[in-house]
Amino acid sequence: MSAGTPSGKLHIPISVSRIGIALMAATTAIAGLALCGIAFGRSPGELLAILASGSIGSSFALQGTLLKSVPLLLTGLSVAIAFRAGVWNIGGEGQFLIGALGAFLGARYGLIASLAAAVLAGAIWASIATAMRLWRNAPEVLTTILLNFIAIHLLGYAVNGPLQEASGKYPQSDAVPAGAALPLLGNLELHAGVVIAVLVAIAAWYLLYRTAEGLRLRATGFNRSAAKWAGVNVDAQLIRAMAISGAMAGLAGGIELLGVTHRLFERFAAGYGYAGIAVALLAQLHPLGTIASAFFFGALTTGAGELQRTAGISSMVATLAQAIVILAMIAFMRRSKASS
Amino acid sequence: MHLSHITKRFGTNVAVDDVSLAFAPGEIIGLVGENGAGKTTLMSIAAGELSADEGTIDDRTSAGIVHQHFLLVSEFTIAENLALAMWGRDPEAIIRDSGIALRDVHRRVADISVGEKAKLELIKAVARHPRFLILDEPTSVLAPAEARELFVVMRQLAANGTTVVFISHKIPEVLEVATRVVVMRRGRIVADGGRMTASELAEAMVERRVSVDESRRRAGGGTAGGPPALRSLSSPALRLELKDAGLAVHAGEIVAIIGVAGNGQSELATSLRDSLRGRVAHIPEDRARDGLIAEMTIAENIALAERRWQPRVAAQTAAALIERFDIRAQSPLQRAGSLSGGNQQKVILARELERKPEIIVAAEPSRGLDIEATRFVHDELRAAAARGAAILLITSDLDEAFALGDAIHVIYRGKLSDRLTPSEAAERAPQLMAGVGPRQSGVGA
Repeated sequence: MSAGTPSGKLHIPISVSRIGIALMAATTAIAGLALCGIAFGRSPGELLAILASGSIGSSFALQGTLLKSVPLLLTGLSVAIAFRAGVWNIGGEGQFLIGALGAFLGARYGLIASLAAAVLAGAIWASIATAMRLWRNAPEVLTTILLNFIAIHLLGYAVNGPLQEASGKYPQSDAVPAGAALPLLGNLELHAGVVIAVLVAIAAWYLLYRTAEGLRLRATGFNRSAAKWAGVNVDAQLIRAMAISGAMAGLAGGIELLGVTHRLFERFAAGYGYAGIAVALLAQLHPLGTIASAFFFGALTTGAGELQRTAGISSMVATLAQAIVILAMIAFMRRSKASS
Repeated sequence: MHLSHITKRFGTNVAVDDVSLAFAPGEIIGLVGENGAGKTTLMSIAAGELSADEGTIDDRTSAGIVHQHFLLVSEFTIAENLALAMWGRDPEAIIRDSGIALRDVHRRVADISVGEKAKLELIKAVARHPRFLILDEPTSVLAPAEARELFVVMRQLAANGTTVVFISHKIPEVLEVATRVVVMRRGRIVADGGRMTASELAEAMVERRVSVDESRRRAGGGTAGGPPALRSLSSPALRLELKDAGLAVHAGEIVAIIGVAGNGQSELATSLRDSLRGRVAHIPEDRARDGLIAEMTIAENIALAERRWQPRVAAQTAAALIERFDIRAQSPLQRAGSLSGGNQQKVILARELERKPEIIVAAEPSRGLDIEATRFVHDELRAAAARGAAILLITSDLDEAFALGDAIHVIYRGKLSDRLTPSEAAERAPQLMAGVGPRQSGVGA
């Protein structure tokens, strides 16, 4: 009786075809970038070589890539958790900024307090959208994006006003106290946020696939109505998923502040929140896949920086690659759905 | 139209196995068989929606098919859905010409009952005047009066030369309306003829002689004393006036609520879902939408009701339930959405009854199931009552209500009738369901 032997397929957490789709999308993005080089009078091969050496070609480049990957991993997880519960949280950018703001305010009480403040601030900011959903059924896709604009202007006000540096010269804050900065790993340029981010990814995987609440969260995302009939408290799942999602994006902002910039300034988020959507989609909303996906986009970003320096091609091409990935993922996933 | 030597495989599973079949104009063909016998697959091939692996189709005519699963835009109104199907015609006129009653075309499809959705699908198909019309389990969501309405439409269409194929599990209906009966079993045609008795037909379907007399009564039922486990509730927002109707279900008792679809049954089930606490099992009416999470595995679906989730333990639990409930699945890790309708219902039943519920609210628990699966569902519900569960059965299938119910209420426009004994109900239910006859006492005020 085959039905009675559960060991058969248990050890395959992600199907091979799903990884295949992600690899195809990533390859398409890189191929697209290489072809763009022709427009700048460079051969695709030359471009790929610069891209590779600038992102993973040396220990220095690799560390830069990892540093870029940390916020992408956390905002990617943030998007993935919310999407898994069926909530379109595209407010990662705002939650990232508010998290950084929280971390800055908490920094005087030390590193742990600062990170906790970032988590809390992100969760609260995201929960405003949940509250509006429960109160007046306002769609998150609108409220989260509008909250982004509020967060951007709130930060702008802060660094031009109450939190501006003591010298009052630039629209930026003072540096956080040295005691609150994230420690570096050994003698590398890498801060401990890398470890935190990977641990968060593993925790997210555990939550989704190894806990009863994770099971109910996924059920809510797949089919809210059926989950309700099965006895799942759907509202509680949405509230929790959104809070966790916001907390992750907030943590990303806090780590970026305490590990990299040490200061707040106006364009602090630099698109990490939105990039998280591409990261999560490429990972097909799987927390462990998000690690690989964030590394890929981190490498693209640092590689694109190298392109700008040595080949004079705008680093905006990294954003272009993100867009290609999203479009390719949608196209490939549609196709695999249609053929199955 | 003429099908010859049609074969269709899905993976290793042969759904249709070398079937030849000819249709004549004006025939009403009752196509019967158990779940998974290949009826729907064969008809999808005839309609041109699926291509056959082997075989040929000659003299293909314009075919319309009304699926078990609705193809409607929930956010649109009835009128808008009809406009999608046939642009430029007055929706009221389309409905009138179809001969099927459906009121108020300005209601959103999301808000209408399953029975009304089925009618709307039928109207869409009939309006195209197909030469060949396939109805896949059309009566499974209809009350008897609505089913008779449908039969009138089918006879009209046949009289005008349309070939009507009527896929059904309900033997009495097939015998009533079909001019020819075709029985399928495991992908093959095992019987094809004009006149058949009910027991001949049932025998051909299930490979062994069964009694089609579903009205085997359960002995006893209901503990006399003690407070009812499930007492009346009121939800004014839903225009339900149940409070005064004295709805009470005692432990060990099955109380059936019967009525034409769209008279408040869905609202009643939903409000019970949202208001009852404790060990309560719910079998939802709309299996396709509310039953299971199609994307998740059988094990995951069953574990949704559990406090803990450990994949290995859940897979073992699911494997045991698959065995006990005779669910045709390859593995507990199979996606629930890939199961047939009857097997999905068994998974729901397995999950809900595993809770050892004190109260069971079962809405249309055997809708669209074959004889064997229906009997299985009924036996499980009887067994649960025998264990002491209080069961509220909401159904539009009168046979089911009489087969299971210790007491019966009729629901009409959101109001419950008095509590009736089965013999009282047998006498008064038709009038009460139609809202005619003697005024119901004690209801509404």
